[in-house]
Amino acid sequence: MELITLFIAAILVNNFVLYYFLGICPFLGVSKKIDSAFSMGLAVTFVMTLTAVVSWMINHWILIPYNLDYLQIVSFILVIAALVQLVEMFIRKISPPLYQALGIYLPLITTNCAIMGLALLAALKDYGFAKTVVFGVGSGLGFTLAIVLMAGIREQLDLADVPEPLKGAGIALIVAGIMALAFTGFSGMIN
Amino acid sequence: MNLSARMIVVLTTVGLISGSLMAVVGMLTKDRIALNRQQEIEAAILEVVPGTDTSEELFAEKNFTIYGGKNRDGNLIGYAVYTSGTGFQDIISLMFGTDPNITKINSLSILEQKETPGLGAKITDKELFLKFWDNKNTGSALSLRKPAVRSQDELAANEVNTITGATISSDKVLSIVNQSLEKLKQIKQAGKLISEDNDAE
Amino acid sequence: MPSKSAGAEYIKGLWEENPVFRQLLGMCPTLAVTNAVINGIAMGLATSFVLILSSVVVSSIKKLIPSQVRIASYIVIIATFVTIADRFMAAFFPPISKSLGPYIPLIVVNCIILGRQEAFSSKNSVGRSLVDALGMSTGFILALLVLSSIREILGMGTFLGHQVMGAWFKPWIIMILPAGAFITLGILLAVALVIESKTKKRKT
Repeated sequence: MELITLFIAAILVNNFVLYYFLGICPFLGVSKKIDSAFSMGLAVTFVMTLTAVVSWMINHWILIPYNLDYLQIVSFILVIAALVQLVEMFIRKISPPLYQALGIYLPLITTNCAIMGLALLAALKDYGFAKTVVFGVGSGLGFTLAIVLMAGIREQLDLADVPEPLKGAGIALIVAGIMALAFTGFSGMIN
Repeated sequence: MNLSARMIVVLTTVGLISGSLMAVVGMLTKDRIALNRQQEIEAAILEVVPGTDTSEELFAEKNFTIYGGKNRDGNLIGYAVYTSGTGFQDIISLMFGTDPNITKINSLSILEQKETPGLGAKITDKELFLKFWDNKNTGSALSLRKPAVRSQDELAANEVNTITGATISSDKVLSIVNQSLEKLKQIKQAGKLISEDNDAE
Repeated sequence: MPSKSAGAEYIKGLWEENPVFRQLLGMCPTLAVTNAVINGIAMGLATSFVLILSSVVVSSIKKLIPSQVRIASYIVIIATFVTIADRFMAAFFPPISKSLGPYIPLIVVNCIILGRQEAFSSKNSVGRSLVDALGMSTGFILALLVLSSIREILGMGTFLGHQVMGAWFKPWIIMILPAGAFITLGILLAVALVIESKTKKRKT
C-alpha cells in the first residue's frame, strides 16, 4: 500500500520536473513533438529504473558497509554513464529501428540530472530496495507525463502568435510554470 | 605504449588520484559531519525536554527514535521522540518531548518540512502553531480544533489549534504525533525502554 | 580564429555567453535553489569552485588523455571536486548544506561544467581555461543572484533574510513555489533576448 502511494506521489505530487526541477534540459529541448517526447520519456524511465536498482545495490552492498560514503557521487555518475552505454549497445543489437528512433537521445541521458537526481534522492531518503525501484519507475513516468504534456502544448503553441523574445525557451518556461502550478493541486493527496 | 594500454594507464591514474583525494577529504570531514548531526539532535532534545543535561538513545527503529533526557543527577526527566511522516507536500520531521510517565507533551518542535511557504510552513511558527502543543494532555489521542481559536484557554486539555488556511498540514502533524504517542506508550509498556544505567522505568 | 585578450575571455561569460541566459545551460540548479539569495550564492560559489578547478586540471593534463577516454576522465575529475565541495559544506555549513539538499551533488551533471571542459579547457592553455572558467562562474553567479533576488524579495519580502519590503507588502508566495521559478526565468530569458537585439540594432 505504501508502495502505491509512493508511486502516485512520484508521478503527481513530487513530479521530478515540476517539483524537483530535474531533467529541465531534455524537458525544454525534446518537448517539441509528442512522439519524440514520448520516446525520450520511455528511454529515461528505463534508464531510471535500472539506475535505481544498481545504485541501491552499490550503496547498500559496497559504499555503506565499507564506510565509503564519500564515493557516492563518483560511483553513481559512473554507473549511470556505463548503464547508458550498455543500454545503447543493447538496443542497437536487439532492435535497430528502435535505436534509430531514439537516436541521439540516449547519450544525452547521461547528463540528464533526473537520473543522477533519482539515485541521490533515493539514497537521501534511505529507501529500501522495493521503494527505490518503485520510486525509479514512478519518477520516470512522472517525467514522461510532464514532457508529453509539454510537447502537446508546444505543438499547439507553434501555431500561435508568440512575441519574438518569448519564442522557444521563454514561453516554454512560462508554460512549465503554469503546469507546475496546476500540479500543486495534487498536494495533500497522499496520506 | 599502444593506445589500449595508454587508455588503461590514464584511467587508472586518474581514478587513483581522484579516489585518494576524495578519501582524504572524506576522512577529514567525517567527524565534523557526525558532530554536527549529534549537536542538532541534542539541541532539539533540550528544546522538548527542558532541563536535559545528557541524553541517551533508548529505542531506535527506522524512522522512529526515542531518547531519554536525564538531568544532572542522572535521573530520567522525560522522553524525546524523533520521527517523520508524510506532510502535505513532502516529509515532515519532528521531535516532541513527554514526561517520564507519558501523561503530557512538553512541547513540539518541527525539524524539517517542505510545506507551502506562507501557509503550511507556518507549522514551524511558535506563536501560530507550536505554542498550542505545550503541556497537552496525552491521556487520549490529541485532536485538532477547527476553526482556529484565538487563545490557549479556549482549547480543551487534549486539543491543539489548527492553522487557518493550512488545515491539512496541521492535520498531518497531528497524525504523526498521535501515532508516535501510541507507539511510545506501547514500547514503554513492553518494557523496552531500559536505560543503560538500569534506571527504573 | 583571432585570439581573444584575457579580458575579453573573461567578460564573455558575463553576458554574451552567459551560461544560463544565453547558453541555456545549468537550468536545474538555477530553478531549484534560487528561492532565497543565500542559497543562490552558496550554489554559485560551489559550482564555481568545481568549474574553476576542473578546468585548470583538465587543461593541464589535456595532452596526456587519449580522446576515447576523455569524457570518462572529465567526469571523474569533476566528481572529485563536487565531492570535496559537498563534504566541505556538510561539515562547515550544515544549515545551507541541508537547504541545498541533493543539489550540490547534482553539480556533477551540471552541463555547464562538462560542456566547458569539452568546448574549451581541452583545447586551450591553462591560463586561458582559468580565465574562461572565472568568466563563466561569474556569469552563473550573476544569473543566480538576479533570479534569487527577484524570488526572495517578491516572494518573502526579504533579502538575505532581512526585511526589505514594508509591512504594506503582501508577499507573492508563488515566487517561492516552483511555478514562480519557471515563470521568472522564462521572463528573464525573454528580457535577455530583447536587450541583445536592441544592442545589436545599435551596433549596425
